[in-house]
Amino acid sequence: MLGANLILAIIFIPVLGAFFLPLIGRFSSRLRNLISLLLVVISLVLSCKLASIVLSGATITIIKHFPLGLNFTLTADCLAVFMAITSSFIGAVILLYSFGYISHYENQSEYYLLVVLFLGSMMGIIFSQNLIFLYLFWELTAVVSWRLIGFFRKPLDILRADKAFLITVFGALVMLLGFISLYQEVGSFDLTVIREVLQSRPLSNITVLLILFGIFAKSATLPLHTWLPDAGVAPSPVTALLHAAVLVKIGVYVYARIFIASLNIEQIWHIIIPALACLSAIVSGFAALVETDLKRIIAYSTVSQIGFIFFGFSIGNEFGVAGGLLYILMHGLAKAGLFLCAGIVEQNTKIKDVTKLGGLIKTMPFTAIAFLFCSLSVMGVPPFGGFFSKFLLFLSTAKNGQWGLTFAFLAAAVLTVLYLLRAFNLVFLGEEKSEAKEGSPIMVFSVVLLALLSLAGGVLIKYPLDFVISAVKQMLGVA
Amino acid sequence: MREAGLALPILIPLVAGILVLLIPDKLRRAKETIAVLASLANLIIAVRLFGKGVFFSLPWAGFGIDFSLNLDRLSSFILLAVSTFGFLIAVYSCSFMRRRNCLRQFYCYYLVCLSFVCGAVLSNNLLLMLFFWEGMLGVIFGMIAIGNKDAFRTALKAFIIIAIADLCLMLGIALTGYLSSTFEISKIRLPLTPLAGVAFVFLMIGAISKSGAMPFHTWIPDAATDAPLPFMAFLPGALEKLLGIYFLVRISTQMFDLVPDSKLSFILMGIGAITIICAVMMALIQKDYKRLLSYHAISQVGYMILGIGTAVPVGIIGGLFHMLNNAMYKSCLFLTGGAVEKQAGTTDLEKLGGLARKMPVTFACFLVAAVSISGVPPFNGFFSKELVYDAALERGFIFYAAALLGSFFTAASFLKLGHAAYFGKKRQENEQVKEASWPMLIPMIVIAAGCVLFGVFNGLPLNKLIQPALSAKLGGHDYSGFPANIWLIVITVIVLIAALINHLFGVKINGSGLKAVDHIHYAPGLKKIYDLAEKRYFDPYDIGLKVVGVFSSIFFRFDRAIDWIYNNLSVKAAYSASESLRRMHNGNYVVYLGWSLLGLVFMIIFLVSTK
Repeated sequence: MLGANLILAIIFIPVLGAFFLPLIGRFSSRLRNLISLLLVVISLVLSCKLASIVLSGATITIIKHFPLGLNFTLTADCLAVFMAITSSFIGAVILLYSFGYISHYENQSEYYLLVVLFLGSMMGIIFSQNLIFLYLFWELTAVVSWRLIGFFRKPLDILRADKAFLITVFGALVMLLGFISLYQEVGSFDLTVIREVLQSRPLSNITVLLILFGIFAKSATLPLHTWLPDAGVAPSPVTALLHAAVLVKIGVYVYARIFIASLNIEQIWHIIIPALACLSAIVSGFAALVETDLKRIIAYSTVSQIGFIFFGFSIGNEFGVAGGLLYILMHGLAKAGLFLCAGIVEQNTKIKDVTKLGGLIKTMPFTAIAFLFCSLSVMGVPPFGGFFSKFLLFLSTAKNGQWGLTFAFLAAAVLTVLYLLRAFNLVFLGEEKSEAKEGSPIMVFSVVLLALLSLAGGVLIKYPLDFVISAVKQMLGVA
Repeated sequence: MREAGLALPILIPLVAGILVLLIPDKLRRAKETIAVLASLANLIIAVRLFGKGVFFSLPWAGFGIDFSLNLDRLSSFILLAVSTFGFLIAVYSCSFMRRRNCLRQFYCYYLVCLSFVCGAVLSNNLLLMLFFWEGMLGVIFGMIAIGNKDAFRTALKAFIIIAIADLCLMLGIALTGYLSSTFEISKIRLPLTPLAGVAFVFLMIGAISKSGAMPFHTWIPDAATDAPLPFMAFLPGALEKLLGIYFLVRISTQMFDLVPDSKLSFILMGIGAITIICAVMMALIQKDYKRLLSYHAISQVGYMILGIGTAVPVGIIGGLFHMLNNAMYKSCLFLTGGAVEKQAGTTDLEKLGGLARKMPVTFACFLVAAVSISGVPPFNGFFSKELVYDAALERGFIFYAAALLGSFFTAASFLKLGHAAYFGKKRQENEQVKEASWPMLIPMIVIAAGCVLFGVFNGLPLNKLIQPALSAKLGGHDYSGFPANIWLIVITVIVLIAALINHLFGVKINGSGLKAVDHIHYAPGLKKIYDLAEKRYFDPYDIGLKVVGVFSSIFFRFDRAIDWIYNNLSVKAAYSASESLRRMHNGNYVVYLGWSLLGLVFMIIFLVSTK
């Protein structure tokens, strides 16, 4: 029963605790900040505790039976716990950074409430085994991110927030249709039940299409991606949280949960989805080369990297899935670092346009080094963590043997090198064009921490990869 | 415990490198001492390990990715060479870098780089090798970027070119690993099926780009002007060649069985021949000491690739021997360049002249290295080139001709360089120039002496170092001693004399040593090509960036078009839909009644039809 309580605590401590934050904020803002961090750290610690249970091969399930297939089911397997640790850890670092960043602005209580609530509902998505509850948490994240993107309340911000909200919610509604059509096929929303019923036959194509629509909208994949760069108007820790670490990974995670771990889909999807993922990676990679707003460049890069993750998952052999999972971790760490560095640059120079920046390595050496490390990890240069995830994806394409896709993937990987170096070059090297100073200690500490973790992720690859391998074994059902 | 000792050549420089980074800026001496001691320790270990067969393995990550190291004849030979150069150049750097900034970074990068090269050579797991191999990317970037104010542009260029090649290598390794279902280098034996051929090509791209062959070369001349000089001597001059050629030999002789008359063999020979000619033609017209040398660093790789690409034993031996020789004379030449830069303050040949008297030791070293690279008997370059010639002639006259032509221009450009820098008019500015300090001279002298030694007693490197590494391929044949084919020697000597005559002729009609090749430079037809090349029209990097630029603007428009659908089209559609619906709700009782009746009719039809 310990495991079951752990899952409930992981989800509901942040979700419910978040609502007390504004109250605490009335008395002491410092205490509020600490408690918000504490809520996320509790989730993290409990997830780690769960890890020791699931890694032994056990799966923990809570079922409360309800009629109409609406069983309230929560499951913790390796995949879920891996995802929970990744997102709560990155979330905690981002919260830490927020202490420095958000202290300049108003409505702080609301900010902390939303962020913690967001992370809590993310945990809900991760552990839900029932599609309807998954959908509820999914929409909760959409509402929260709508509020967070428009946090600065300027007219443009609100417009962009609306756009993000409309696209993701529209996608989610289509996905809900998909769930309903699945219900008609099977008669339950519970994935464990659905899995038993659909053991041998694949899911009907129309259902797959509907569900994919929602997933692609959330994970910002072509052609549903343009809300993501636009959402760069949000405060930097929010963009880091939404774009890099957590929100966009929801779609990817749900893809893994539904289409890899639970159900079969027809073979044709293993060609269509990788092709779409490659196209998305390439188009956004090229767009990132043209873009001049630093946060938009990084946002396009996220779209591109999400394409890589989908690519690995949709190829679906053990290397691809392992590569995709590892990618979620490594990309989350590095990309959060990049966004947070961009936040430091933006806050201290008040400039977003990279062509007007330059030479900041002299005035902000730590930020520059952290940015470089994170970029190298995203590019996949050893000894950084991104190297292994990229290599596993290459391995999966080699095994897959579709040459067109392989070369498209190679091209997208080259583009990654180009646009990240371009950004680093324009912002940190060359002539100094503007006055600047290093960010506040706590902000610099968070980005340096992320950069060092990207490095450690490569050198100590054994630990994450072992975890990933046991998750893959569980998902694909191989011993 | 001896097995674990295999990790020491990787660990010692790495730890020393991190240590250097932690030492405060004031303690210059401490950094130099650490660098020299670490590289010395590396050398001692390499000597002790030489010739032994040691295997060491630790589990590292899943999927057959182990931290496994293997020392066989080939890798122990390369390791020894790497450590030797590492030590000598560390000694040299102590003096050369003394008054420079960024010492801390320089030594840190230097040592980390040494560690990674050793790691790549020792790795028995392809992925581990790639880890070290590609890991150098960041170090190279840093090393070039600390050169001068604008060096970061070159650093970017180097980074991008190398990164692209490394990504290709990554794909190649993934393919190879999949095809042979293991990453253990010592276990991989693949027949050259079409798919394995693709894997070979990708691995080859990685190998030849590391050694700096065309078309992955263009960052090297730029780095020569921007990066600190010991970097040039160390990396493009020696270590990268050793590493790249080492891997090329590994893949073409061991992991895959490259046979003569295969397409891949012709591709390799073609790349080799083109690299020789094009790079040496560019070297010929350079007016900067270091830049001229850097083009030779590219050109000489051509000989090695040509030799190995022939896929006959004499060619492979020649290629490896040439790799060793080139690393020696090329780093020696770069070191003389550094001495000149340090003492005279410039490497611009227009401003140099008459240094032979001021810097006699440097000049002597230069002379030895220059005749070696030109292939004058009995220096070491002569013997390795003869082996390559022999193999090239066996495979096709055209390759032999290309190699000979390369030889002619090599000799011509070194006559020009030596004449312009060490003889010629003495300049006012050069009056005060003195001989370089001993820490700089000793490495040069040692390497120059090595050039003579390996030439006169060429059996020493061939029998002790190279032939044992390839004993399986050779079948007991011994290639040391004087070349068997006397005609090859005669032709080589004729070519060298022709180069000398050309130089004398050039000096006579053009007026000075620096302009000695102007009659070739400005020859009709060639001049135009040279002009375009100097303007970088042939730089694959620039061409590539332009292509990428075009594509990115196209795809960016595409992306904006998608965005336009959301921002404008969908909004307009929603507005017009609600507008037309609004018009229908105009409060007119008759219209509403009509709608209701219409709805009723539809409902009745629906109900009736479903019954």
